[in-house]
Amino acid sequence: MKYESQKVAYKYFLFATLLFALQVVFGLLTGAKYVWNFDPLIHILPFNTSRAIHINLLVVWLLMGFMGGAYYLVPEEAETEIYSPWLANFQLYLFAAIGVAAIAGYIAGWSWGMPFLEQPTILKAGIVVVALLFLYNIFMTMLKTRKWTTIQGVLLGGLVLLAVMFLFGVFFMKNLATQYYFWWWVIHLWVEGAWELVTAAIMAFVLLKLTGVDRERIEKWLYIEVGLVLFTGIAGIGHHYYWIGTPGYWLWVGGIFSALEPAPILLMVADTLKDVRDRKAGITNRIALYWAVGCAVMHFFGAGVWGFAQTLPQINKWTHGTQVTASHGHFAFFGAYAMLNLTMVYFALPQIKGLKEFSQRLGFKAFWTMNFFMIMMVLSLTVAGVVQVYFQRIMGLDYLTTQGYMRLWYAAFGASGLGFAAGCLMYVVDFFRLGKSTAKS
Amino acid sequence: MTKAQAKAVFYWGTALSTIILLVLTYNSLGQLPKRTNQQMLTAEVAQGKWVWQKHNCNDCHTILGIGGYYAPDLTKEMAHRDPGWVKNFLKDPEKIFPSGRQMPNLHLTDGEITGLVAFLGWVNGIDTNNWPPKPFAASVPVQGENPGEAVFRAQGCSSCHLLDGIGGHAGPDLTRVGARRSSQWIEEQLKNPKSHNPDSIMPGFAKLPEKDIEDLTSYLAGLK
Repeated sequence: MKYESQKVAYKYFLFATLLFALQVVFGLLTGAKYVWNFDPLIHILPFNTSRAIHINLLVVWLLMGFMGGAYYLVPEEAETEIYSPWLANFQLYLFAAIGVAAIAGYIAGWSWGMPFLEQPTILKAGIVVVALLFLYNIFMTMLKTRKWTTIQGVLLGGLVLLAVMFLFGVFFMKNLATQYYFWWWVIHLWVEGAWELVTAAIMAFVLLKLTGVDRERIEKWLYIEVGLVLFTGIAGIGHHYYWIGTPGYWLWVGGIFSALEPAPILLMVADTLKDVRDRKAGITNRIALYWAVGCAVMHFFGAGVWGFAQTLPQINKWTHGTQVTASHGHFAFFGAYAMLNLTMVYFALPQIKGLKEFSQRLGFKAFWTMNFFMIMMVLSLTVAGVVQVYFQRIMGLDYLTTQGYMRLWYAAFGASGLGFAAGCLMYVVDFFRLGKSTAKS
Repeated sequence: MTKAQAKAVFYWGTALSTIILLVLTYNSLGQLPKRTNQQMLTAEVAQGKWVWQKHNCNDCHTILGIGGYYAPDLTKEMAHRDPGWVKNFLKDPEKIFPSGRQMPNLHLTDGEITGLVAFLGWVNGIDTNNWPPKPFAASVPVQGENPGEAVFRAQGCSSCHLLDGIGGHAGPDLTRVGARRSSQWIEEQLKNPKSHNPDSIMPGFAKLPEKDIEDLTSYLAGLK
């Protein structure tokens, strides 16, 4: 860490960590409703509320992680202090307050009702303010020195795209098909566009600092990777336009572009491994390196392989709207984005706290536990989904009867979820242990 | 490859894909009114869509295949449901499915229920490129199948009734219904369920062709 104001990132990581843990708690509650048919919480926290909270916490903690990552990265890239650390703090508290209001609102039955975008419109307006404050602060910091590194450019591009796309999910449209058409502009162009840019920039930064390889090389590959991500990803939105009322040509467009989507992710894996192999610096922060390489690999399997497996229209016709989709959702969000944030936390936190060396035992335990149980969760849910496709879609059994045949796999999913929660808890403990280590340094 | 070339890959790739998306979006938005029967999208349907959103239905049910996976997809629900039955169900879902995985009572007003049913009816008319697919098992004619059994399957009777251990629990088990009920009783029940029990929640099937009613009746009466 070179600049004092990079420390604001710590609070972002702290909030992100707490919300991650809360997301896992709500994940367990939501999953339990599949395992047991009797739901004692049906009148307090029915499934829809529980799921809304689970997926909103996911988005909020990931965004907080990205923001923390940006506040840590930009000063070093721009070689200056953050334009306004006060604003950075204020913007965090505002975001957190909106998050609390949203969750309390869901429990009280206050919802806008589109998945992931359940926030009532007034809260969405608040989120837009947060995004504008954040972008302003980041942009003004970059403007101070005008060092337009590629990493900064890609990061800024991703953040602007992220904010702009959100606007397509704010307005009520009478036609459900049109509403969902533009809902995907938020959801898809976030996860396969804007977020990919943000994470590619953060990953490039971490690899640059960790491995000490040539900036020129890192930035060249960054361009190629995000170029391919956007080329395949933007038109790849077509794989969401197969069955929502949109014309039949989307089956071709979606099929072709999304078949190419794993390519850039595979390139990232190869590139990451090459950077590590050609490293010029001795890497003492091995746990950050593990998260970085693990992220590349899990990103590939979760987003690339599990996504590709159901993206062709001939297959998607049968799997769309089943737990097969949910298995991909868990795998891809964890592999691509949760792990990216954990990479950044493990890279930045010791530096913020001035730790040259620190015990990595608990960190490694958390790493292996979370990864192992996430894979078990995904496999359980995949089998549940395949059972669902077979009985419901192919044999034509009714929905609830089919759910009965899936219960064994829901139980395996729930049990793996408990294991994942244990891993998450280890991470939380490790985070606070590292966070408190300042005194010694 | 030089960095300048890599930069060109980035700009051209992004621009090309964006242009494709924008052009196809322009075309798709032009086709959507026809493909979604927009002329049928009344104020009541729009109000029903808001009821759907306000009560966060989409985080349990998928619609157009998107949303929560906890409850059935509702895209084509109204293709095999009687609006009267759905209204009755929405009044008090816990009464109709008293056990197992439940839908809570949302305490909807009559106006909200009417809107919601109109909304689901409109969604049923969206051209979804034939999604969800017809099950293989349903599209392959079963050798020697009783014609009444085909009606039973096509009308989705097993959503509510058990038969040989398969089916729903909202209505009585029909495994040996022929041993309990006469053909005449069954036919009356199919045409007007309220004739035997004024509080019955079963939708009437009087709208079916007479031949289907006869086939279904003789099939059920034969289950002994």
